[in-house]
Amino acid sequence: MRCMADRTVLSGWKRFTAKVMNPKFIMVFATIGVFLLIYLFGALKYGGIGFTTIRTFLNMFIDNAYFGISAVGMTMVLITGGIDLSVAAFASLTGMLIAYGNSVLGVDPFLCVVIAMVVGTGLGALMGAMIHYLSVPPFITTLTGMFMARGICSMISRESIAINNEAFNALAGWKIYIMRLVDGEWVKIKPLAFINFNVLLFLAVILFGAYILGSTRLGRNVYAIGGNEQSAKLMGLPVARTKIFVYAFNGFCSVLMGLSYALYVKSGWNLALLGGELDVITMAVIGGTLLTGGVGYMLGTFFGVMLKSIIPALITFEGNLLSWWGKIATGALLLLFIGIQRIVVTYSAKRKDNSCR
Amino acid sequence: MPDNQILAMKGIEIQFPGVKALDKVDFDLRAGEVHALLGENGAGKSTLIKCLTGVHHMDAGNIRYDGKEITPTSPQAAIAMGISTVFQEINLCQNLTVAENIFVGRQPMKRLNAINWKSINERAEALLSRFNIHIDVTRPLDYYATGIQQMVSIARAVDIKAKILILDEPTSSLDENEVERLFDVVMDLKAHGMGIIFITHFLDQAFKISDRLTVLRNGHLVGNYEAQSISKIELVRQMIGKNMEEIFALKRPTVAPDADMMLEVDSLGITGKVEDVSFNLKKGELIGFAGLLGSGRTETAEMVFGVTRAEHGTIRIKGKTVRIHSPIDAIGHRMAFCPEDRKRDGIIGDLSIRENIALVVQSQRGALRPMSSKESQELADRFIRMLDIATPNADKKVSELSGGNQQKVILARWMATQPELLILDEPTRGIDVGAKAEIQRLMLKMCAEGVSVIFISSELDEILRCSNRVLVMRDRCKAGELPGGTSRQEDILQVIAEGSKAEEGA
Amino acid sequence: MKIKFNTQTILKSKITWAIVAEMLILLVCLIIRPEFFQISYQPSTGMLYGSIIDILNRSSEITIIALGMTLVIALAGTDLSVGALVALSGAMALKLMRWDMGQYPTAGDYTVTPMIWVILAAIGICLLFGSFNGLMVSRFGMQPIIATLVLMVAGRGVAQIITNGRQMTTDFTPFKFISQGSVLFLPMPIIITAVIFILMAVFTRKTAFGMFVESVGINRNASRVSGLNSSMIIFVAYAIIGVLAGISGLIYASRIGQNDSNNAGINYEMDAILAVVIGGTSMSGGKFSLTGTVIGSIIIRTIITFVYYFGVAAEATMAFKALIVLVVIILQSEPVRRFMSKRKHARKLEVGGEMHG
Repeated sequence: MRCMADRTVLSGWKRFTAKVMNPKFIMVFATIGVFLLIYLFGALKYGGIGFTTIRTFLNMFIDNAYFGISAVGMTMVLITGGIDLSVAAFASLTGMLIAYGNSVLGVDPFLCVVIAMVVGTGLGALMGAMIHYLSVPPFITTLTGMFMARGICSMISRESIAINNEAFNALAGWKIYIMRLVDGEWVKIKPLAFINFNVLLFLAVILFGAYILGSTRLGRNVYAIGGNEQSAKLMGLPVARTKIFVYAFNGFCSVLMGLSYALYVKSGWNLALLGGELDVITMAVIGGTLLTGGVGYMLGTFFGVMLKSIIPALITFEGNLLSWWGKIATGALLLLFIGIQRIVVTYSAKRKDNSCR
Repeated sequence: MPDNQILAMKGIEIQFPGVKALDKVDFDLRAGEVHALLGENGAGKSTLIKCLTGVHHMDAGNIRYDGKEITPTSPQAAIAMGISTVFQEINLCQNLTVAENIFVGRQPMKRLNAINWKSINERAEALLSRFNIHIDVTRPLDYYATGIQQMVSIARAVDIKAKILILDEPTSSLDENEVERLFDVVMDLKAHGMGIIFITHFLDQAFKISDRLTVLRNGHLVGNYEAQSISKIELVRQMIGKNMEEIFALKRPTVAPDADMMLEVDSLGITGKVEDVSFNLKKGELIGFAGLLGSGRTETAEMVFGVTRAEHGTIRIKGKTVRIHSPIDAIGHRMAFCPEDRKRDGIIGDLSIRENIALVVQSQRGALRPMSSKESQELADRFIRMLDIATPNADKKVSELSGGNQQKVILARWMATQPELLILDEPTRGIDVGAKAEIQRLMLKMCAEGVSVIFISSELDEILRCSNRVLVMRDRCKAGELPGGTSRQEDILQVIAEGSKAEEGA
Repeated sequence: MKIKFNTQTILKSKITWAIVAEMLILLVCLIIRPEFFQISYQPSTGMLYGSIIDILNRSSEITIIALGMTLVIALAGTDLSVGALVALSGAMALKLMRWDMGQYPTAGDYTVTPMIWVILAAIGICLLFGSFNGLMVSRFGMQPIIATLVLMVAGRGVAQIITNGRQMTTDFTPFKFISQGSVLFLPMPIIITAVIFILMAVFTRKTAFGMFVESVGINRNASRVSGLNSSMIIFVAYAIIGVLAGISGLIYASRIGQNDSNNAGINYEMDAILAVVIGGTSMSGGKFSLTGTVIGSIIIRTIITFVYYFGVAAEATMAFKALIVLVVIILQSEPVRRFMSKRKHARKLEVGGEMHG
């Protein structure tokens, strides 16, 4: 059975479809599809009371940008086949450093941010080194990191500390309003819709992430390691460096999430974002990132963030629904997506069997 | 050092805990030559190569490469020097595309530090067509068969401009066509001045393609020969120190014409995977399954044993129709199955030899009737003796045994259940000549004791030597059945070829 | 279960380090404050008191769950939902005890539903959800982290719904006995833990079930071909941990005398996993040790008690715990263990597949 002899290389459009028809990319489509479906449902049910306004749409971004930033780093970690449970703890620590540093010690908040970045990235790299060189499972290493960070945070302060710095609050309140042309003049649309620094930060980080994954050797090495670490080693790829980078970068993203959240709530608290790491992981998984590694797309993660954000939005519009229904809905959504992942993975394995053995 | 010698390893020694793996071994390689490295399992072939590629550090000896003395410290370093290895297991990343696998780690870049995808795809295409392979390089690697993936591995090595290419058991998972193509590629590389080290168990292949042969035994260098000046028989004698005739003095099982019918398989199949296969098997009979890789032999065996559930067809055991939906059912009907991929479906690595051997017997008894340690110890000891498994005791972890001994443990596991029907799927693959013969002898002994055997193998001479009948499969369906005693290799190949001829015309 | 006592094996064994760590901590306690080890008898309650007793008592909830977690991890899985199940168990119990709050508005020494049904229902609903997890992982092949994440997210929501978001209190003596009572001079939770440990030890080591679990955990395919019903084994493990979470939840609810769907069981899954790993069971599945898990859980609780007892700021508990766990993990890691046992050659690099001589 000669099966592969004459499959000629496809041209342009066909190549695009072939790439996109990759079963794993289909999951990203599923994410986008489900998101559109749910949005449609929301539009139909709550369109009258303002669900379909640009304001509502942008608010979803504003309310979840901080998670989105972390989801970018998390996606990369997941692609290598690892996991990072420390992200929310590091974010909380960042917020606490800013709040305590500024409100109590009088240090410039942006200096605190820089310090946090150094610490966060450094600790991330340290975890990555432990994972690679000591072969400690990522789950355990980052779990310990999480406890450590929460612990240090608790030692700094058990109570929430408000951030009162002018420059900081100015950044927190900074808005870019969406405008439209009316009679030759730019006017803010009503109801008022805007984006803020957090949203821009999120967009910047996810674009950067997409660039790394799609266009740099480092990014492709990340995929290779996730596909088969042993092979990657044998192919001469710099596995140690790449893994450490991934965890360091994720540490950096955690710090950014901390900054972003601190801007959002203008305070630092040791119990901030409790359980947040699982929200971030959920976003990545819903976005088509496989927990087994080797598969993940920034586009998918973007929509994963959107999909997870739309649920609390819907609940707010429903009004008298208790918020824990949101948790149940998110759980159901997660279940749906891992179901889809299973089907897609099984299907692509079946396809392979038929084509050539 | 002769002009075109690119590699000279001298006096290599390595000591592992409890065993001296290499003892003053020499090996050299010339540019534009194919040099086969032969020896039984445990002879030290892989260890020698691992020294060269920086995986192990030698205790003594030196390596001169291209005139300079080197000490490779890691696979990365070895690759950077131009020493590239293609392993038996595909060491590529299944989630990346074909083109990417060739270029990962050294992708051509555009300005602005972005990968030039167009260039990657074009160059990959060009590289593969040089080896007469025309495929869509933008598809993920796992879309393609092992044979193609093997080629991609080689293409990567070639593109890195390796000077030395090491092929470690490259043909184990390839069918005849794919092996042909591999050899074409090797000859092409040879013509371009690459030095190729070819490690294999297949002596015929070694003779066909190599210029020189080096034989190792138990960590010692036995000899270095020109391929033309040594015969196969002599070579085997060097490898194991015994005569081949002695080993292969095997007798086909005798089956009385009125013997009971053990197994009747009728139109067994799964749409799209295996077409309706039918065959019978008498008590004490041995039927061999021959065919190219991918012809559906393993799939058929897996259906009979319940590893995969057949969609249609019937199985009758001793005249009664039975339902085999899982291995548990099959075992209940006194069947046994030694799978092809012993790592994936066979050994429980971290458990001891004793626990591995007792596994099926224990699973039959159920969780609530555990075997006492005395019972399981006796069982294990009995089989360690019977199969001559090389181990100091039964508590050693199976993962620490050599391939041949692992296979024996798996065989022991099934023999311990005293089955009436035994299915062996490539039981001698990747095993040295001595152990091969042992296993075949064992198989035939079981037939003599009344066990029916289904024997799947890619080595036609093995099949012909042992089988009462040969069932030939082609393209996932039964192509024909031949008597074992009177057929020759050509007859089997004929049956297989009958199909290909028709296809080639299309 | 044969134990070989040569020095090599002892030094190489992971459980050794767990024991060493515990001994060291206790030694430090002994030196600084010998009263730590004092055990006194209180005739009025018929119980023994002391820090050691306290450690064993307070670690019960985690130990019980960790015993179940040992099997799950041995099967190369995890269960993140146990914390939520603890909350669920308490919710169910309190709901049944205070069923008709209209008629009996105040808490007191009574129960509306007979105690036996309260206990069975609480454990039963956890068994149900545990079975759900088991089904997802064994039958539908979903990854344990993700499959159990669903219930982790949704489980507390369900608990809230059962109790309508209310925190109900009870003073029912038999119920309080679960945590406050004593048998044979020892607090009830210790007795419950001991009984469960004995039952599980017998079940895993006196039957072939333990070996089956190890076999499936190491190589599921090979186990299946060898006639094991791997799906059933996996299912049973998750069902067991469900039941254990239910029992743990009852102890917790009994201690605080109410249900607390927000805080009950928080971080229990993490602590349980840590206990198992410290105890020597590897997260990649295979050989496991129930004894090791118990020691691991005791270590975690010892650290916390140590911290309180010695007046180390309560806020530092978490960080301290993380630090000790970090040390144990590092000591248990492959490279360090090899170094310690002074093996001449660390040459088990498996490269290229087959391990030839």
